[in-house]
Amino acid sequence: MAENSTPSPASKPGPKPSNPLAKFPSNVRSAHERFLTTGDVDALDTVVLAVVRDYQPAQLRGDPAVVLPDSARMIDDLGFDSLALAEIVFFFEDLYRVSITNEELMRISSVGELRVFIRSKVDSAKSS
Amino acid sequence: MSRSVLITGLGFITSIGNDASSVSASLRAGRHGMAVHPLCDNPRVPVTVTAPVREFLVESPSWRDWTWPARYDLPRETLRSLAPHGVYAFCAIEQALADAGLTKADLVNGETGLFCASAGSAFMLHHNLAQAHANNFERGNPMGVVSSIAGTLNFNFAAHYGITGAVAGFVSACASSSHAIGYAIDEIRLGRQRRMIVVGAEDLNADTLLPFAPMRALSVNADPASASRPFDTARDGFVGTGGAVVLIIEDAALARERGATAYAELVGWGQASDGHSVATSHPEGAGLREAMRRALRDAGVEPAQIDYVNAHATSTPVGDRAEALALRTVFADAGARPAISSTKGLTGHGLSMAGAMEAGFCALALREGFIPGNAHLVNADPTCEGLNLPRDTVSARPSFVLNNSSGFGGSNVCHVLRQIDSAGLTTTA
Repeated sequence: MAENSTPSPASKPGPKPSNPLAKFPSNVRSAHERFLTTGDVDALDTVVLAVVRDYQPAQLRGDPAVVLPDSARMIDDLGFDSLALAEIVFFFEDLYRVSITNEELMRISSVGELRVFIRSKVDSAKSS
Repeated sequence: MSRSVLITGLGFITSIGNDASSVSASLRAGRHGMAVHPLCDNPRVPVTVTAPVREFLVESPSWRDWTWPARYDLPRETLRSLAPHGVYAFCAIEQALADAGLTKADLVNGETGLFCASAGSAFMLHHNLAQAHANNFERGNPMGVVSSIAGTLNFNFAAHYGITGAVAGFVSACASSSHAIGYAIDEIRLGRQRRMIVVGAEDLNADTLLPFAPMRALSVNADPASASRPFDTARDGFVGTGGAVVLIIEDAALARERGATAYAELVGWGQASDGHSVATSHPEGAGLREAMRRALRDAGVEPAQIDYVNAHATSTPVGDRAEALALRTVFADAGARPAISSTKGLTGHGLSMAGAMEAGFCALALREGFIPGNAHLVNADPTCEGLNLPRDTVSARPSFVLNNSSGFGGSNVCHVLRQIDSAGLTTTA
């Protein structure tokens, strides 16, 4: 059979996942686009807060209309565990093509710290 | 061994229906679940007929893209660590619990255990590994392991339902969920647990199914109406299916206390191995023959008392032949002539899920009073001589039923089920 085998295009593992923000509200998706095109970091904040809301355990999810305060602690106040924190970080790594180390991850404890951290990370990725 | 074991709830997400009543209707009407449904876009793949699950979209490796019937409330925290077959399994568990009249609160006191069977998700594993390799294992899905390795079902649902009793997974390929049922029967008989949730589930995608093609185990027949035809001389391999089937089984005393309605009693089980080949059956079905005899002995039932055998027969030339010969030895040679059928002619072969799916079918047959026929069987293989293989559904209520399963390595598992009357009492002593 070897004489007949040409390299197959089907070695990829399956369908590619769609845009990770596809099921987020339209204001979040447009904020993402705005950040990518204009670099508006306020728009980036909108995305970060929406992703935190999305990953927060349902039993502790408050009124989605209330903006998460910078002081809210990811683990103690919002109910994240270490895996859910790692998932959020992976989400941003994937979305903005950045790499976040374990040490950096360990230093994030509040919503404000996450917000500022993602800003600086994405910013330095752009300038590098 | 004084405790008896009842099936009090069933859940089905299958190619022939996504609840007990549609599954039962399909079994009676001989309505199959096969379709022209290739699993990848490479036209050179010779397998085009499969038996897909309807109402679900789980083709993407990202759970954010998945959809399932809106009647199931699948929370984000659970979804994110599931494989496609975990989504099927969640829906089937919810169905089975509702069917048994149970809620989440009934499962947390340590008296309920959870035994699961799937091969894991080769699809999720493939995707997660490719992604992690590409990123030097510095970046990747943190849920990659628990959503994809064998055991994913028990990891997820023990946590989701807060189950503190016995929790384990079973891996014996196409006998896996039959092993799960067998050992669940023992947990209850031994008084270790009063209730067991048994889950069998599989993905249906290229990564799970198509590796069986180079083994020459899959049908390349392009006609959905004849690709799966167990025991037929023209059979050329199995048709793959996915889905999930769940059985709630309980100590009869507990079921009586809470006024549950049972489908059937699980009166015994047995297993034996071929000790012969890693991937093909013993030519005379030696292990399966012994497993059937052990199950009958455990149940205290003679071959002549069995009214129906749900055969493992997957529509492969070698496997069906071995099972036919084993059935002839156990039944025909003892002067017994039970109706025998393989429901895989309707559903396709669900791999790890097959044993639980077919135990579920047996339970429906016992409660509702019918015997499924052999779909698509036209010319029975000569090795089936002396076996009673009805083509169509028989309207008769069996008293005792035998359910066969065989997996790689020649692992064979059989269960004996008994009819229960409408008052919840066993009719035959």
